[in-house]
Amino acid sequence: METVKLQVFRYDPEKDAAPYYKEYEVPVEGTLLNALLYIKDNLDPTLAFRAFCRSEVCGSCSMKVNGKTKLACKTPMKELVETWKGKPLRIDPLSHMNVIKDLVVDIDKPIEKMKTLIPWLVPDPRVVPTDPMHESIIYPEEMKAYRDQIHCMLCFSCYSACEAVEDNSRYRGPFAFSRAYRFQVDRRDIETAKEKRIRYAISGGLWSCVQCQKCLYVCPKGVKPAEDIQNLRGQSVKKGFTDKPGARKLKHFVDWIYATGQINRLYLPEEVYGNKEAREKLTKAYQEMGVEVWEVPKPTKGLMKFRDIYLEILSKENKALELDFSHVRKIDKMVSDIFKADICTIVDRAHERGESAKGLIGKLKELLGGK
Amino acid sequence: MIKIGFYQGCCFQGQDAHMFETMKETFKKLDVELELLEETTCCGGNTIDEENRKLSYAINARNIALAEARGLDMLVSCNTCYMVIAKAKRALDTDEELREEINNLLREEGLEYKGTSRIYHLLDFFRDAVGYEKIRKAVKRPLKGWKVAAYYGCHVLYPKEIAIDNSDNPSSLQEILKALGAEVIDDYEHKDACCGYHSFFTDKSMTLKKLNRILGSVKKMGADIVATPCPLCFKSFDIYQLNMEKPPMVPSSFLPELMAYAFGIDKETSGLAHHLVKVEKD
Repeated sequence: METVKLQVFRYDPEKDAAPYYKEYEVPVEGTLLNALLYIKDNLDPTLAFRAFCRSEVCGSCSMKVNGKTKLACKTPMKELVETWKGKPLRIDPLSHMNVIKDLVVDIDKPIEKMKTLIPWLVPDPRVVPTDPMHESIIYPEEMKAYRDQIHCMLCFSCYSACEAVEDNSRYRGPFAFSRAYRFQVDRRDIETAKEKRIRYAISGGLWSCVQCQKCLYVCPKGVKPAEDIQNLRGQSVKKGFTDKPGARKLKHFVDWIYATGQINRLYLPEEVYGNKEAREKLTKAYQEMGVEVWEVPKPTKGLMKFRDIYLEILSKENKALELDFSHVRKIDKMVSDIFKADICTIVDRAHERGESAKGLIGKLKELLGGK
Repeated sequence: MIKIGFYQGCCFQGQDAHMFETMKETFKKLDVELELLEETTCCGGNTIDEENRKLSYAINARNIALAEARGLDMLVSCNTCYMVIAKAKRALDTDEELREEINNLLREEGLEYKGTSRIYHLLDFFRDAVGYEKIRKAVKRPLKGWKVAAYYGCHVLYPKEIAIDNSDNPSSLQEILKALGAEVIDDYEHKDACCGYHSFFTDKSMTLKKLNRILGSVKKMGADIVATPCPLCFKSFDIYQLNMEKPPMVPSSFLPELMAYAFGIDKETSGLAHHLVKVEKD
C-alpha cells in the first residue's frame, strides 16, 4: 500500500514548552481527514483535531497542508501526494487564531469580529409581516443575489488565508464581509441596518482588502468574499461614503477609463490624496530611471465607440458612482492641449498612425517640447 | 514563428512604454511576434468591478474580441489584467444571456465576442506555446551564479478557475529560471505572501509590512534578485520598497528583463539598468 509521511503540528499549551512536529506514516487513500482518523485509531490517540460531519457540511476540519488552507474532509490524499510530489506533508493549525491543542484553534476572535458587522436580518416591518400567520415570501429571482453567500459554514479557511488579516489586526475577515453583504442585498432587511453595516464595514477595514483572491481559492463552498467586498465598497460609495482614499481611487478609474480608455498613474496619487507633489516626484523618479513620461495616455482607436458601450452599461445598471462629466471634460482638454486637436480628431488620427510605442515617445517628446 | 496578440494594459505604455520594447526584443529571440492590440483599453484593474461588474465584463469582452477579430490568441503579462480578463472570459463563456447582451453592444463597432481566443499569461505561454527547451536554446549569457528567488504573485494562482499552474505548488516560473541558467530559490518563507501593490493607496502600512516580510525572507536565503512575471509585483518591490523605513534594498526584476539579459541583450535595453534598487549582479 502506498504511504506518505505527515508531519503534524503538536502543541499542548498546558504541557509543552513549545510546539513541535510529530511524523506519522499514513496510507494514501481517502481524504486527509481519513488519514488523521487513521493516526488517531492506529498510531496515536492523543492527537487533537476537530471533525464532525465528515462530508463538507460542518466546516470544522479546516487546517493547513504545507501552508495552504484545506478542508480535511474535502481533500483527497492522492491529490496532495501528486501536488507535493511525494514530499512529506506538513499539517498545521489555521493561522491568525490561538491554538487550544494541536490542530484545534480558538475561533472566538473571528466570531466576535463577525458580530460587529450585524450578520443577521433586521426585519423591515413594511416588508416582513409582524403577524406570524403571514409568510414573508422570497422569490427564487431575489435569492440569486445571495445564493452563494448563504453556504458559508464558518470553517475560517478564508480567515486563515487572508492577507489583510495577516497585516491588519482590525480587519474583520473575508467571511464576515460576505455574511454582512448577504443581508445588504436582502429586501426584507431594513435600510437603517444596511446603513449601519456599511459604517461598521468601513471601520472594520473594508478598504484594506488587497484583493489577493486567496479567499476565493480556499473557500470549500464557492463563496467569493473578495467579490462581495467589492460589492460592499460600491454600496458604501453609493451611500455617500466618498471621502475615503479607496472611493477616490474608484472615481479616478471610472472617469479616466471612460475619458481615455486608460487610468493615469501619474494623476492617481494626486486625485486620491490631493497631493500634487506625488505626481512631480513620480515623474522625477521615472526620469531618473531614464524613462520619458507623458501625462496623458495615448487615446486608443475606437475610443468613441468604447465610450458608448461604457455609458450604455452604466445607464442601465446599478452603479456606485455617476460619471463626472466635468472631470471628463477637463481630461479631454488636457488631451487636446497636448495633441493640439480635439479628442475625436486625435482618435481618428490614431487610426491612421499605428506607431510603435517607441515612435510615439519620440513624437510626444517633440510635441511636449514644442509647447 | 508564433504570432500572438499582445494586451498592453497600463503597464506597457506611457511611463512604461520601454517595457513593451523589451518584450518585443525578448520574444523575437524566441521566434514569437507580438502584435500589439492597439485598440484595447484598461481592463478596469479589478477596481471597475466596484462600480459595476457587468461594466468590467463588457470592457474585457471588447478587449478579447479585438484579438479574436485578428484571429489571434491573446497574451497578457500583468497578473491582475490576466485575472480580470480571464474572469470575464469565464463569465462570458458560461452565461449565454450575458454574452448576448454584451455582443449587442459590441456589434456597433463591428466586434463580437465568440470565445475562440485563448488568454495566455506569460508563464503558461512560455510553458505551453514556446516550450522551456526553446528558451534554453535562446540563452547566450547563462545566469550562472545568479541566485534568483521565484515570486509568482497572486493573480495567476488564485482563484482556481483561472489559475495557470498548480496553485499550491507551481513550477513554471522555476522551470523558466532554470532554463536561463539561474540557481532558483523557491523555498523562502514568504514566497506566497501578496506583494501589497493594490493596497498601497488604501492601506499603505499593510503594503510595507508585506514587502518587509517577503523581501526579508528573500534576503535571508541569500538571493541576488527576485524575479516575477507580474509588472505590478515588480513595481511594488522596486518602487514601494523605498517607502519602507529601513528598506532591505533587495533588487528585483520583471521576468522578461531577466530573459532579455540572458538572451544577450544588454542591461540598458533589457531595463535591468533602470531599477531604483540597483541590480549589481552581472
